[in-house]
Amino acid sequence: MKQKKDVMQGTLALMILKTLDVLGPVHGYGIARRIEQISRDVLAVNQGTLYPVLLKLEQEGAIASEWSASENNRRARFYRLTKEGRKQLRAATRDWEQTAAIIGRFFEVKAEDLS
Amino acid sequence: MSFVKRFLARLTNFLAWQPNDERMNEEIEEHIAQQTTEYLRAGLSPEEARRQARLKFGAAESIKEDYRDERGLPLLDNLLQDLRYGLRTLRKSPGFTAIAIFTLALGIGANTAIFSFVYGVLLAPLPYHDASQLVVLNETTPRVGTVSVSYPNFIDWRAQSHSFSEMAYVEQMSFNLAGATVSQPENIQGDSVSPNFLSIMGVHPFLGRDFVPAEGNSGTPRVLLLGYQLWQSHFGSDSNVVGRSIALDGNDFVIVGVLPPNYRSLDKIDVMLPLGVWTTNNTDTANRGNRGDSTVVGRLAPGASLAQARAEMEGIASRLAKEYPEDNDQFGVQLRQIRDVFVGNLRAEILVLFAAVMFVLLIASANVANLFLVRGAARTKEIALRMAFGASRSRIIRQLLTESFVLAFLGGALGLAFAFAGIHLIARLIPQDTLMGATIGLNGAVLLFTAGVVVLAAFVFGMAPAVHWAKRDVQGELKEGGRTSSVGAAQNRLRGFLAVAEISLALVLLAGAGLMLKSLYRLIKVNPGFQTDRVLTMEMYLSSQRYSKDPAVLNFWRQVLDGVRALPGVESAALGNHIPLTDSHGRTDITIEGMALPKPGGFPHPDTHTVSSDYIRTLGMVLERGRTFTDTDNQTSPEVALVNDKLARQFWPNDDPIGKRFMWGRFNPASKTPPKWVTVVGVVGDTKMYGLANPSRLEVYAPAEQNAESDMDLLVKSRLDPSALTSEIRGVVAAVDKDQPIFAIATMNKIVSDGVSAPRLILVLLGLFSLLAVILAAIGIYGVISYSVAQRTHEIGVRMTLGAQRADILRLVLGQGGKIALIGIVIGMVAAFALTRLMSGLLFSVSAGDPATFAAVAALLVLVALFACYIPARRAIRVDPMIALRYE
Repeated sequence: MKQKKDVMQGTLALMILKTLDVLGPVHGYGIARRIEQISRDVLAVNQGTLYPVLLKLEQEGAIASEWSASENNRRARFYRLTKEGRKQLRAATRDWEQTAAIIGRFFEVKAEDLS
Repeated sequence: MSFVKRFLARLTNFLAWQPNDERMNEEIEEHIAQQTTEYLRAGLSPEEARRQARLKFGAAESIKEDYRDERGLPLLDNLLQDLRYGLRTLRKSPGFTAIAIFTLALGIGANTAIFSFVYGVLLAPLPYHDASQLVVLNETTPRVGTVSVSYPNFIDWRAQSHSFSEMAYVEQMSFNLAGATVSQPENIQGDSVSPNFLSIMGVHPFLGRDFVPAEGNSGTPRVLLLGYQLWQSHFGSDSNVVGRSIALDGNDFVIVGVLPPNYRSLDKIDVMLPLGVWTTNNTDTANRGNRGDSTVVGRLAPGASLAQARAEMEGIASRLAKEYPEDNDQFGVQLRQIRDVFVGNLRAEILVLFAAVMFVLLIASANVANLFLVRGAARTKEIALRMAFGASRSRIIRQLLTESFVLAFLGGALGLAFAFAGIHLIARLIPQDTLMGATIGLNGAVLLFTAGVVVLAAFVFGMAPAVHWAKRDVQGELKEGGRTSSVGAAQNRLRGFLAVAEISLALVLLAGAGLMLKSLYRLIKVNPGFQTDRVLTMEMYLSSQRYSKDPAVLNFWRQVLDGVRALPGVESAALGNHIPLTDSHGRTDITIEGMALPKPGGFPHPDTHTVSSDYIRTLGMVLERGRTFTDTDNQTSPEVALVNDKLARQFWPNDDPIGKRFMWGRFNPASKTPPKWVTVVGVVGDTKMYGLANPSRLEVYAPAEQNAESDMDLLVKSRLDPSALTSEIRGVVAAVDKDQPIFAIATMNKIVSDGVSAPRLILVLLGLFSLLAVILAAIGIYGVISYSVAQRTHEIGVRMTLGAQRADILRLVLGQGGKIALIGIVIGMVAAFALTRLMSGLLFSVSAGDPATFAAVAALLVLVALFACYIPARRAIRVDPMIALRYE
């Protein structure tokens, strides 16, 4: 149970960081919409799970937040990437690309290449 | 590093402790509002848009819970929450809480109190350097057992052994202390020790210096170390005491130091002297056959084990026995670790009590577990509801365990108070010397133990309800209103099991108490051979300075006896040098006239008493034949003696012992001087000199007028309370010699009572523990049956409607209780049979598996169990079938 949640949280955290990197400061709903557009699955039913992850990232110092006016003229919490977050994202991107490349090569390998 | 930052942020939030959900709520609100707007734009009805938005957001409450967990420290958060919740629920049911805490406090308190003795006597480190290497050595002889060590033998042991790095001789002495330092003359005890004694023990004087080697030699200047207490009481803790002097037996001793406050001595001592003081002008030091009041302490050499040392010493002892048969024939050697000497037979006694209190604690825990289960049944709905609202199973169990811990903690706190009172009570009930200077109290080690007991108890009674909830079908609970039959059955089984356990544990305790009761009863029924009522005893020791000549000694005793006899209220007064049951004794070899001469170690070796003419009458002993001493048995008349029944029957089984003769010491056919025969003039009954539980020995009584003794006990039989005579007797003695101390003042009743204080205390405690156990077990079985009756009200109603008679219902309910009781008793019997064996060493003329005792305690428990079931059974037969059937 716990492990699965952690994996999902980790993926979600990375998506959040990337979203903020691309869009600049944006509120929770905006992040949710963006993630939903790109990957329908992760947040299809549970948009709310985003918020504990946002809090975690903020407490780690990867993102910062402040109140600001939203589109419908109400108060919304806007999130933005910090320097620390940008560093984290770069490192994570590199890791991710490396992993993806390795896994990719594995899938390309055919039986005759191994003999 | 981000982990640290995150932890710090969480900790800050946790400590700030504001359940600030505002930001979260507002964000969620805004999120759902935006999503709703989106759906409205897509053409949904406002209601539907809002519903869809909520669905898409997910389970808000669970997300909020995650959010809160993320913000603070959920484990601590929950713990605090559980604690608050636990305290609140406990407050809401004060009856349950009070009973549970009180029950636990009794169990934990009893454990703490007894453990403080376990620690103080068995575990606390001895105040010596590396005490495990210290060995106490004694001589042994088959005729007596353990005896003192003769000085020449000690010299040979020390010279010939290699398994000891050092050995020291310790001779117990007593002195009269009079003069400027004391208001009233008194008698004090001292050890005269080899100069290396304190360094062997690893003890350093608190003030001043240790003895120097030269002080082991005869003719050494008179010096001594003060015991810490004597220093406090007689010298006002004067830090300049070194160099001052103190008069013992009329001789001035220079104080060279003070022993440390925590010094633990094998003998109760007030002063310590160098061995040279004892050896000076002392012919005993050259007499290999003289075994005074001495023992030897040795430190094992590095690498030597006790077993090696024992083997070596046994070899040395048997060589010495062959080399000096006159003095050492059949004498062996005994080696004991110093801890064992201090503990003595307390070990078995304390461990039996410790096992008993553990049982009490288990019963108390089982009882509280039962209470928890009953309450758990009442809380079924509450807990089921909380689970339905998303509280996880583990969260509920944690909550229940927290409640258990809160209870156990409160029980432990109250238990400490009980223990504190209990320790003082127990310490008052045992004679001071029993513990040999062990310190008993609530120290760090004991508190640590108590904490462990609290945790153990919390687990024992907390796990039952927790396990129970872990397996429950919540949905079922809610649907069926908490009366699911399968769950009820499982719970009843668990509670039945607990009740069975309580009964069997209680039976073991009861069996132990029953055996002790029977044993003590038999012990106090033992005929001691003397009558103790209205007899006062006190000791006087005439120091050699003033009373060096026999006439002076005899004159002193005559004057004292005459003075005391003249006191109003005195029925008779007598002198004797060894009072029964005080361990005071003297023994010597005798030769019976005409006996085949045995080897040196095989001569009769009776206890010898020097007594005045009224001794037999004053102590109420039985004169079986012949006569007692009269005033005409004096130094000018032939030597006479009394013997006890055992000696008479052993040596003159077929003849009249009156007129038979024996001589003191061993007959030597080669000797030129004719033997001095002593004539037996009377036979007296055997006495229990060495305790009611120990067999009588051979005894010989000689008249005081023919054997001047400087150390005597005065025995006074009074018409009324004998202790009232104390001050008048003091006056009589002071009139004869104002510097003569009187000590060891006690009534014979007190001496007998102190002699059985250990079994009596064990009986009292075991009795208390088992009473507690039986009450708890009765409550346990009562709880099970009465709960089951309440659950079966409906069923009972149906049965009665179908024609069941009250007797049938009674049988049904009592049968259920009887089954629990019987299983418990059978298990308890088996356990008791195995366990009481461990206490057989404490029992006197009762076997550990005594069938009568076992039958009696089983019957008692059956009665108690039936009575406990009878109350709910009566409720059952009064059930009105009509009401019961509507009881759904």
